[in-house]
Amino acid sequence: MSTPKPDRWRALRLTLITLFVALAYVFAYRGSFIASGSPLDPRDLLSPDLWAKGGPLLGDFLTPDLAARDIEPVTLQLPVPVPCGSAENGAPAASGPRLVPSVPCAEPRDKFTVEGFELQPNTELQLRWRLPSGQYFPGQFITTDADGYFSAEFEARPIVATKDGVPGQIEVELQVEVGELKPSQAFFDVLDGVIVTIFMALMATAAAVVVAAPFSFLAAQNVTRRGPVGTAVYYTVRTIFNILRSFEAIVIATLFAFWVDFGPFAGVLALTVVTVASLGKLFSEAIEGIDPGPVEALTATGANRLQVVWFAIVPQIVPNFVSFIIYHWDINVRISTIIGYVGGGGIGYYLAQMINTGQDNKAGTAIWAIVLVVWAMDFISAEVRKRYT
Amino acid sequence: MLEVQNLHKVYPNGTRALTDVSFNVEDGEFLVVIGLSGSGKSTLLRCVNRLIEPTQGKILWDGVDVTAATGAELRGVRRRIGMIFQQFNLVKRSTVMTNVLAGRLGYVGTAGSLVGLWSAEDKAQALRALERVGLAEKANARADALSGGQQQRVAIARALMQNPQLILADEPVASLDPVLSHSILQYLEQLNREEKITVVCSLHFLDLVHRYATRVIALKDGQVVFTGLPQEIDKARFKEIYGEDAIEVKAGLSA
Repeated sequence: MSTPKPDRWRALRLTLITLFVALAYVFAYRGSFIASGSPLDPRDLLSPDLWAKGGPLLGDFLTPDLAARDIEPVTLQLPVPVPCGSAENGAPAASGPRLVPSVPCAEPRDKFTVEGFELQPNTELQLRWRLPSGQYFPGQFITTDADGYFSAEFEARPIVATKDGVPGQIEVELQVEVGELKPSQAFFDVLDGVIVTIFMALMATAAAVVVAAPFSFLAAQNVTRRGPVGTAVYYTVRTIFNILRSFEAIVIATLFAFWVDFGPFAGVLALTVVTVASLGKLFSEAIEGIDPGPVEALTATGANRLQVVWFAIVPQIVPNFVSFIIYHWDINVRISTIIGYVGGGGIGYYLAQMINTGQDNKAGTAIWAIVLVVWAMDFISAEVRKRYT
Repeated sequence: MLEVQNLHKVYPNGTRALTDVSFNVEDGEFLVVIGLSGSGKSTLLRCVNRLIEPTQGKILWDGVDVTAATGAELRGVRRRIGMIFQQFNLVKRSTVMTNVLAGRLGYVGTAGSLVGLWSAEDKAQALRALERVGLAEKANARADALSGGQQQRVAIARALMQNPQLILADEPVASLDPVLSHSILQYLEQLNREEKITVVCSLHFLDLVHRYATRVIALKDGQVVFTGLPQEIDKARFKEIYGEDAIEVKAGLSA
């Protein structure tokens, strides 16, 4: 019989625990932020700089690269007869992407301006002369403004003079979007990555089940721990599971990446190891939690140990095992995303590449895909487990 | 004949479950073991087929030293001893048929049984056993779809598959309605009389003991305090076995 503790003791205990937690927090703060030389100042969160940097980044992530039109090169041409009258004057279009000169024709050494309208906004373009001979005479680089407008100075050099009635032309090459809106390259790359990640998780889970299922029986007290040999096996397998479980998936993935090279294979190997350890523990605990009655009954019939396991234990653990396997597949999809980030392939690797090369729209596509897949896996796994057990 | 000689059982935690228990069971007897909960009845029954290892003492069955048997020899002994449990101990998620066939595991090869290859003979025997306990039509039902009384009858059918010469029944009716007690015990009595299967059964209710036992032994604190015929248990003996405060309760509805 335990006597109920006086209230003041409980109050004191609560105070001491609170004090301890507070102290631990202070030490952790000092250790992690002050020792690293960048003390965390809560006011940083309000600094305009942080938000100025984060805003566009967030914008890019919120506008993922999903769809695009085909791109075709289109050349805009504008004939400029030099000298005047040597050929027919050019007639600029009234709308659409067009080049408009300040003069219809020019005398050698004349200076004039050329304006561009409704071109691609904020884009660098190269202007050039196409000579009557068909050769190019490189001109200048210009950058269009937000409305797709530019204005550039030209000089009518003698080399551009009309020859045999063919005038020289000012040219600019544009990249024009044509046709229907289609899923973009990034969309397909992300889809590819997601499928690779899901299958990495599936392969690792399947391989891990094949290893963990038989070994989990060896790590189950009620099956194995009999006699000195059984006890030794029980502790050995349990210890191996425990050691394996103490390694983080991402650490093992990095090791494997150096061993078998970066890619999905390294990711699958690492995931398998981690899943064996985790499922091994879950499985063996499920086995230890069975009703011992049928085991006793079948042992009493003269069945051997393998038969007892198969007829008395296996039917009892099937629902649990199925539930754990599906749950772990779900977990593995998330882990394999992270593993991919350190070189394990799949969507994680794609995400890392896009972030490292500053292609934030594509990184956004990958992030949305990950959110969608994780949510879907979570939902499916919960539904299946609910229905099966 | 089953001979139990100076049997002792001390559990690792120090509990003395059996102290110097000796008795014989002749072939064809219906021996009932009585005693309070914790008096050692279950331990005693489980020592007979070595589900529990006795600490000391000997058990001889048909001249074979059960306590010395190991491995295949022990399994050979076990397969001729059927056992019925208080909690029925069926595999609940398996079908009735699979549960009954499992009684045959001691006779069949490991590989064949693991892939579910049962001989036509075994299947026919299983159906006969189920017919015998009146559950042939439940063969393909899941065991947990059956009522308690039906589950215990399946357990009897499973024991029958062993072609047992001895049936150990550990409180076979303690989890059942008193009304069903007679139904279950009558099956055991029938097997005892018609098939000459020796039965060693632990029971709680004295009226059931009087009705079914051919001989009784009583345990108190792990020791045999009475051996004799059921009629010999009068009020005085009853108080001796169950203590001064005990009041006899009837299972009701005599058959």
